Order: sequence, then structure tokens, then C-alpha cells
Amino acid sequence: MRVCKTITIPGNTSLTGLYAEKVGNYPKFFKMDTLSKLGFLATELLLEGEADRFISREDRAVLLFSRSGSVCDDSHFAKSMEDYPSPSLFVYTLPNIVAGEIAIRNNYRGETSAFVLEQYDKERIRHVVEEAFQDRTTRSAIVGWVDVRSDTDWTCEVSLIEK
Amino acid sequence: MEELIKELKTKVIDVLNLEGMTPEDIDDNAPIFGDQGLGLDSIDVLELLILLEKNYGIRLTSPMEGKEVFQSFAVIARYVAEHRTK
Amino acid sequence: MTERVACIGYGALTPVGPSASASYQAVREGRSALRSYEGMFGCKEPFVASLFEQRDRFEGYSFMESIAIRAAREALDAAAINPSSPRVAFVLSSIKGNIEALGQEDVSLSVSAARIARFFQNPNMPIVVSNACISGVAALLQGRRMLLSGQWDAVVVVGAEVQSRFIITGFQSLKALSAAPCKPFDADRDGLNLGEAAAAMVLARSDRGWELADGAIRNDANHISGPSRTGEGSYNALRYVLSSFAPEELAFVNAHGTATRYNDEMEAISLRRAGLPGVPVNSLKGCFGHTMGAAGILESILSMQACEQGCVLPTRGFSTLGVSEPLRVSAQAQSCTGRAFVKLLSGFGGVNGALLFRKGGER
Repeated sequence: MRVCKTITIPGNTSLTGLYAEKVGNYPKFFKMDTLSKLGFLATELLLEGEADRFISREDRAVLLFSRSGSVCDDSHFAKSMEDYPSPSLFVYTLPNIVAGEIAIRNNYRGETSAFVLEQYDKERIRHVVEEAFQDRTTRSAIVGWVDVRSDTDWTCEVSLIEK
Repeated sequence: MEELIKELKTKVIDVLNLEGMTPEDIDDNAPIFGDQGLGLDSIDVLELLILLEKNYGIRLTSPMEGKEVFQSFAVIARYVAEHRTK
Repeated sequence: MTERVACIGYGALTPVGPSASASYQAVREGRSALRSYEGMFGCKEPFVASLFEQRDRFEGYSFMESIAIRAAREALDAAAINPSSPRVAFVLSSIKGNIEALGQEDVSLSVSAARIARFFQNPNMPIVVSNACISGVAALLQGRRMLLSGQWDAVVVVGAEVQSRFIITGFQSLKALSAAPCKPFDADRDGLNLGEAAAAMVLARSDRGWELADGAIRNDANHISGPSRTGEGSYNALRYVLSSFAPEELAFVNAHGTATRYNDEMEAISLRRAGLPGVPVNSLKGCFGHTMGAAGILESILSMQACEQGCVLPTRGFSTLGVSEPLRVSAQAQSCTGRAFVKLLSGFGGVNGALLFRKGGER
């Protein structure tokens, strides 16, 4: 396996600002939760300038890891439950939605998976990624530790890895 | 009616996070769904149903019924004016 | 060392049976625990679900963890392996875990997974696969891969889900629930029911037992909550697991079959595209409801038992075909001869999973 490139987005970064500066013209961004915004933006930076970027492909996996899962969104939805439960908030109470957002944006029809670990563990993540390459179609993967503790406190490190 | 249309547009823009859009950007009679629409999906329809209930006391039971009402902002406003309970 | 990954023990705990075999018997007889609840969990609206009546828990463990432990214990007893070995790993599949305790304690799925692994004195950090409704299939696939990597002697894959106001209110807000027992693939289907269950499989490299022969996860790249109209991801996952396997050898396909309009139609299209309209199809959601993180493991265990008995389990709730493709949905229990089956699941985030199980090939 070879790490091609890595992007980190420090906590407290203005995600809307980063979007305006680096992306634009993807209005779905504003509907996303913080976890999806981070995964989306990190991938945008990661893939900047990649040839044939949006052509449909099945050979690239999206594998995301965290400790917190969707806990921040869980709180948002729980709050809406007291009044009018919000379907759009509920959908984001799944840690794998961010992987789906990345797949939709980039037309990735390969594997997308989300994993939750008790703590960041570089070795363990490396193993899971290696194991994912057992899929006979997968040639590269977007791999990230995107851990959202709150809407301003997170760790986000996303890499492009080739088999 | 014009005021109600503007109020509805503002609320929809806010609830559906249609960032960068203003009430003036949306034609009163333009279709809300479809390719020329606002790019809304099935979950957005559900959020619009909640918006009507929360703000105007209108309870539509099914998303299908919602789609009849959410044709354009002019149609929504007419419906709200007729059926609102708050 | 063999490259054949097999299930060397399984266990399940469902509202219709305290073990995997009792749950199988109940389904075989057409029983279900689906019923209507009012005011349960403090939900404002009534709902139909399959819930445990007995809600005992081990001291120091949540109810979800307790049922997971009981299912895992049954599977470990059958497999007769030592779960405290450093060469054994735990994989947990649960979508919302202890969500009912949100705001009172740390509800991270990793905390539950660690508690379950430590109950069995297992020294390793467990891994949680959180892939929406396909989590069970994804967790089994993860277990298979871990064994093929050679790092582990056995992997205990546990799936468990309990219901709560959080989940039920969420599905109600999506208008995804049926007010009656669900009707998979039926013309009158109008939504799903939620359910509670725990199920576990011990996987190991072995020349005996059911082989978990292959598996794949594929994304629709279409929408985060709506299934693809062309069944793209589901078809691609199916195509992958059948790439070196003749469909005629399949006894049946155990579909996701949630009984929502869009899911069942999407699966019908996917099955037709994969060239499987002649193969019997069933769904177990009419017996257990949608047991979320447990579904992939529970439904695989039930399917293994059925296949062994030469039986395609009935699709409870189904009577008239209501999808656009000519599927052979198994309404009643019927006999079959194949020694292999496919388990399918699909979920939010555009994910689809397929597993191929087969019995032959023992040496």
C-alpha cells in the first residue's frame, strides 16, 4: 500500500469559508452535517486536480473511521424530537452517510464503509485497509479518521491510498 | 398574498438550507420539483410538511398530498391562506 | 492452512425464540412477534414492532449488550473455542447501540463493543462496523477478511439492536413505518416494522461447516436515503459474489425485503439484472421486523438452517407480487435442493451488501 496524499482539516476551521474558497457550486454541501462537510471537503482537497475525477468507477473504496460515530448528530436529532422530529437530521445519525456523500459527489460505485474504534489506532486502521484490498475490484481507497466530537471540535485526516 | 409568498420562500430557504438563495431568486409560479426546480428530494418534502404544520397548523398526512400542494410558491400560498389554523 | 472461511458456531436471541434453533422453528411455523404498541418507550404515535417481552440485563451491562452477550455465548459454546485468546477478535454490528441512554452516558458503539469483548475476557480492541442497515453483512465480510489476513484464529461477529424512542421516532419522521405487520414484495406493502434481536457467528478457517465463500459492498452513488432506481449497488454486489458461481446452484436468495415501496422494487430490479429471476427469493422481515444491526447475521443464520433442511423459509406477510419484475417470492415454506444461498442487504448512505454462503467443499 502506498499513501499518495494526506489532507487534514484542523478543528474550528470555517467549513463554509473553506467550501466557498475551494469548491463552490455544490449546494448539497449546505444540507450536510458537520461530519459529512468535513469528509466532503477533505476529499475535495485530496482529489484536487485528479484526472478523470468524476467518471463513474467501482475500483475506489471509501473507508472512514472514528470514535464518536454520529454522536453529535444524535444530539441534534434528539433535540428535534421534543418538538417536530426532523427526518433530515435523523438520516445523518448514521456514521456512514459521509461515505455515501463522497461516493455521490465522485460517482464511486465501489465499497463504502464506516468503522468505530475505541481510540485512534494507526496499526489497526492499516490492517482494515489492507483487508479491504482483498476485494478483487478495489485498487485505491479514500481512508480517513474523521472524528466529530462537536460542531467545532473534531479531528479530520483523510488520505488517498493505493493498493 | 405577496407577503405570504415571500414569508414562505424565506422559511423554505431557511429550513432546507438553500444557501445563497433569496426569495427574489425564486419565481412564484415556477415548479418547485423537477429539473428546473430547487433540486429538492423526498426528505425535503417531509421537512416541508413539518414546516406547514409547525407554522400554519396545516397537517397533510402523506407526502403524495404534499406534492400536490408543493407545485409552486403561488400554489402553496393559496393553500396556506385557505387552510391555515394559525 | 486452508483459505476456506467457515461458520463454526452460531447463536441468536429473538422475540420468537431464545436460541438460533428455537427462532428457526418459530419462523418455520410462521410465527412472529410483530404487534402493535401504544405509548411504548414514550413514543407519541403507536407503532408495530417485534420487541422482547423479557428485558433482563446482566448487571453492569445495557440490555443491548446483554442480548449480544447471550447470542455470542451460544455461538461460542457451539464453536468450542476460547474467546479470551489473543488470537480471537470481536466485531460488533449495531446501528444505534445504547442510544436510549444519550445524554446520560457515553453511547459510543465502541464502548459497548469493548464491554461485550471484555465480558469474554478477550484482550483485543473490538471493531464496530457501522454501515447503516447493511452493518451485519459488512461485519461478516470484515470477519472473513480478518481471517484471510492470517492474523486471527477466530473472529466472533456479533450483531444486536434494541428499539427506543429515538429510532422509532426517526423512522416515523421518515414516514417509513407500516401501521400493520409488514408485507415484503407485496402489492399492498406500505412500509417496514422495526425489530429487536441479537445474533452471533464464530468464523474461522476451517474445512468443515458453512463456508462464507465471498462478499461485497457496493455504493449506488445516487442518494443518501433513497434506493437507486436501477438497483446499481445491489446488482454490482450480487454480480461480484456470483462472478465464479453458477446461479443454478443457489437454493434461494434471502433478500433485504423491508416492505418499503422503493427497497423491494429496487431489489427486484437488481435480481433481474443479475439473472436470478428463476431463483426463489424470501424475506424474513415479516417475522422479526427490521432488526437493523442484527439483521444480516440473524437472517444468514436462519438461512443456513433452512438450506440445511432443504427448505426455503416463507415470506410472512407476502401474498400478491407487487414489484415490476417476475420474482419467485416464496410465500409458503417450500423445498429446495441447492447447497448455497445469497444474503442481500441495502441501506442508507447508498450502501448494498451481498454474501455468498455454501455448504459443499468440505474436505
